[in-house]
Amino acid sequence: MSSVRQHLERLRETNDLVSVTERVHWDGAAAEVASEAIRHNCPVTLFENTSGEIRLASGVYGGADQFAGIDQQPWQRITQALDLGADCSYSKLVERLVRQESVDVDDYLTDEVATTVRDDMDIYDLGLPTTDDGSPLVSLGLLVVEKDGVTTWAPIRGVTQRSKKLRLSVPASFAEWCTQESDASVVFGVSAASLVAALQGWTQVQPSPTVPELAAGLTDVSMAAVGSRIVPADAEARIDGRMSIVEKPMADNENGPKAAWELTCDTATVDVETESIALREQAIVPFTPLGEPLTDDLHLTCLVETAKLLRRVNNYWGVSPVKWIQIPVEGRLGLCIVSSEILYAGFEWQLANTMFSFSKLFDKVLVLDEQADPTNLARAIDDMWVKAHPANDWVFSEPNASSAAAPVYRSADENGSRLYINATWDPRWDEEYIAPRVTFETTFSENVLESLVERWEELGLEELLGEQGVNDVRE
Amino acid sequence: MTVSSLRQYLQTLEMRDDLHRISEPVSWNLEASAVTMLLNEEDSRVPLFENVETARLVGDPYRGSQRRPWDRIALGLGLPPDLSYREYYESVIERLKNPIEPETVSADDAPCKDVVRTDDDVDLLDFPWPYIHAGDGGRYSNLHTLIAPDPDSEWVDWSYHRSMIHDSETSSVLLLAGEQTPNLYYYKYERRNEPMPVAIAVGVEPAVQYTSVMWIPTGRNEAEYAGGLKQEPVELVPCQTNDLRVPATAELVIEGEILPNERRDEGPFGDYFGYMHGPRRSMPLFRVSAITHQENPILPFCVEGTGVGHSENATSSMEIGCVGPDATLGLRTAGFDVECCAPWKSTPRTVYAISTEKNNPSYLHDMANFIFTTWGMLHVDFFIFVDADVNPLNQREVLEALTLHADPDTDFHQFGVETMPKVPLNIYQTPTEKGDVQTGTSKAKTAKAYIDATSGGEGKAVRETTDVERRYRAQKTLERAGVDPNSLPFVDPGEGS
Repeated sequence: MSSVRQHLERLRETNDLVSVTERVHWDGAAAEVASEAIRHNCPVTLFENTSGEIRLASGVYGGADQFAGIDQQPWQRITQALDLGADCSYSKLVERLVRQESVDVDDYLTDEVATTVRDDMDIYDLGLPTTDDGSPLVSLGLLVVEKDGVTTWAPIRGVTQRSKKLRLSVPASFAEWCTQESDASVVFGVSAASLVAALQGWTQVQPSPTVPELAAGLTDVSMAAVGSRIVPADAEARIDGRMSIVEKPMADNENGPKAAWELTCDTATVDVETESIALREQAIVPFTPLGEPLTDDLHLTCLVETAKLLRRVNNYWGVSPVKWIQIPVEGRLGLCIVSSEILYAGFEWQLANTMFSFSKLFDKVLVLDEQADPTNLARAIDDMWVKAHPANDWVFSEPNASSAAAPVYRSADENGSRLYINATWDPRWDEEYIAPRVTFETTFSENVLESLVERWEELGLEELLGEQGVNDVRE
Repeated sequence: MTVSSLRQYLQTLEMRDDLHRISEPVSWNLEASAVTMLLNEEDSRVPLFENVETARLVGDPYRGSQRRPWDRIALGLGLPPDLSYREYYESVIERLKNPIEPETVSADDAPCKDVVRTDDDVDLLDFPWPYIHAGDGGRYSNLHTLIAPDPDSEWVDWSYHRSMIHDSETSSVLLLAGEQTPNLYYYKYERRNEPMPVAIAVGVEPAVQYTSVMWIPTGRNEAEYAGGLKQEPVELVPCQTNDLRVPATAELVIEGEILPNERRDEGPFGDYFGYMHGPRRSMPLFRVSAITHQENPILPFCVEGTGVGHSENATSSMEIGCVGPDATLGLRTAGFDVECCAPWKSTPRTVYAISTEKNNPSYLHDMANFIFTTWGMLHVDFFIFVDADVNPLNQREVLEALTLHADPDTDFHQFGVETMPKVPLNIYQTPTEKGDVQTGTSKAKTAKAYIDATSGGEGKAVRETTDVERRYRAQKTLERAGVDPNSLPFVDPGEGS
């Protein structure tokens, strides 16, 4: 089980966390530092000294830009947070999310929550980071509501209005499921499993209110009852109050940049009037600056949407030709890459258009051969440039397709073209036409490699590349 | 410090603990390239093979680091290796704007004349030309400067065409019509049934090597640009068997002529875009008349195909560190408002990104048209235009611009389907389409495309952080918390004032 604290401690042990001990004010400065750190692939940033009651953290579920180096695995923090280990492969992580298992939560209920109600506080005292207009930002939290004995958790994004009210964007399907008014909690500093489960429960085609059960299916998540609701027991901060659905949409000045998940589904607006605030000792609240590249919410949304696509597409033809799918966080949800066996001529067309059918996020799909490596984005994009014929393999649809959500060039009610790029070998080509990649394995015979291993030390490679290097050559 | 020879450059690397000497015997037959590829992929030191039969080899000496591919190129120019890409580009551009005439020295003062071999003493196979990839058509010299004159003027072109060794006195040279030297050969010398005098200078000083890969306009003296880059005159020395002058500090010079209407096999070869391409094709025949060299010469080579994805090699780094600034200057000189023109970092030569303040569709069309027709038509298939605040060398930023700002309806522009020339060094055409025509261009034509990934009037997808002062303070906060300052880009707080 990985609470936020345990997760951060693990990151600290692997030098993937820096503590900012100097005073950084939550009013703009924290978000500025966080943005700079995230943009430039820095470790997770923990703000130990803000003027609020909570400590802020950023990049907790984010990760580095894959183009920055071959060893960058931007999903690594999430695999750790889901207790899959830092070495868990991309494919295994996505497979885990694809399963979308639901587990009875009774076994996960603990006696009590880790937070203590603080009578002397309002929302401003928390010290949430502020948006551009100075409003405290709500991100990476969950809205907890119970209806007819079923507790659900929904993703949220919003702002604080006055000292007692939160105005939140939530999935429209969630708002439809709720009653007009109900008791509710907003929790911050929750585990990755809880955030992922909320996205899987409410941003997919078929809503699934049993989000705590989905979270428990991902990993151990301790839960506790607050009133009639089940909340993540190890949440760092909790705001209890009364939720009401707001009929009119958020005003422009309340909108600001959206969270990534809001692009995946229709949204509605709710208000939460605060009645009490509970905190853990020295609470740590992860947040994500919005409208920036490489943010936590982008990472989580890319993975959840990818898992959805893989689940759907590999159940579609009665066979499972697709090796992997990636909505690279570097492309900000605007591109989907799919690596697949090309079953027959034209299959790549079918595949690309199936992706368009199953997701409204992007209008560009890159199709790669099954040998492509999901952990080498640079090489995948290289294939787009060198393997796809500029005239024949960049294929545009007629301009009647629905607008994709991620790109910014069209409004939601405008139609346009989609593009897929076929960077696969044509199955009609003879084998002799297929150009082999220049790799260490294809370029050098076993004899050369064996000799290299034997001469490793005398060539001075031990000094430069060490034991790991020779093991890599052996493999 | 001025760097006037390959040896001096390697010393500079060594002083920075960036050169790996291997004194044990190493074979030219795949072993040297295997070690080089390994070090390329691991972003490690540059290997100098000191004991390869009769000479020395150095693998990818100008390969830059994966994080800053121009850093070793900068060292070769006496520039600090830790310049930001903007600082580096602007420094090179300034130098290119100030050419310096070369000086001619006597043979006594030219190290490349330490040993002179002519007539029966000429034997290409006396030297350890590397066999680079299993499956290559032969052994190659592929990191050199090919010097060839225009028969109708004083202009002498320096270029970078690889050469496959055939026997003791011949090799084939990859000449692809559409490029400067190949055009001289195919459309002047060969039509007149005359041999083209040529010198291949191997192991030249950095400024000369860099100039050889740049797109210097026809008719301009490339030695002057090399001098500009170096900020000192390049020393040239007359050849033994023709009228050409060659860089005096070259490690080895092969003199000879490319014969009209004579062809030899060239390729297959593991090429710059990361794939073996074939089949063998016929290319012009180079016949050697003399070889001069320094004592114990150092022959540089490039393991092509390794400069893709994350790893760098000499070709990919020179594309970024030499061609990029040169192309930026070329576009500015032509009157285009260009912040920076740079290759896609992990795919040398096929695609370039251009950052510009202008996003008027006709402006971009005209610029693309200019590029494709003047210098980008053979190897480059794509140009991506991005906003001026996007770093063309930051692949994430360019990819983001492409995914969020390039509208499939209006922003992808092909210059005709099957109308543009293409060299056969590609893998998307079948061998039949590539053909085996005399000029080395594909039998089938292709398309060229440019992509308008500027934000135009649609608004930025990324929240702009315009407050430089705040960014600077944020970076300082991170540095004090222990973040490696090298991971943060340079921000000048003065920019905000």
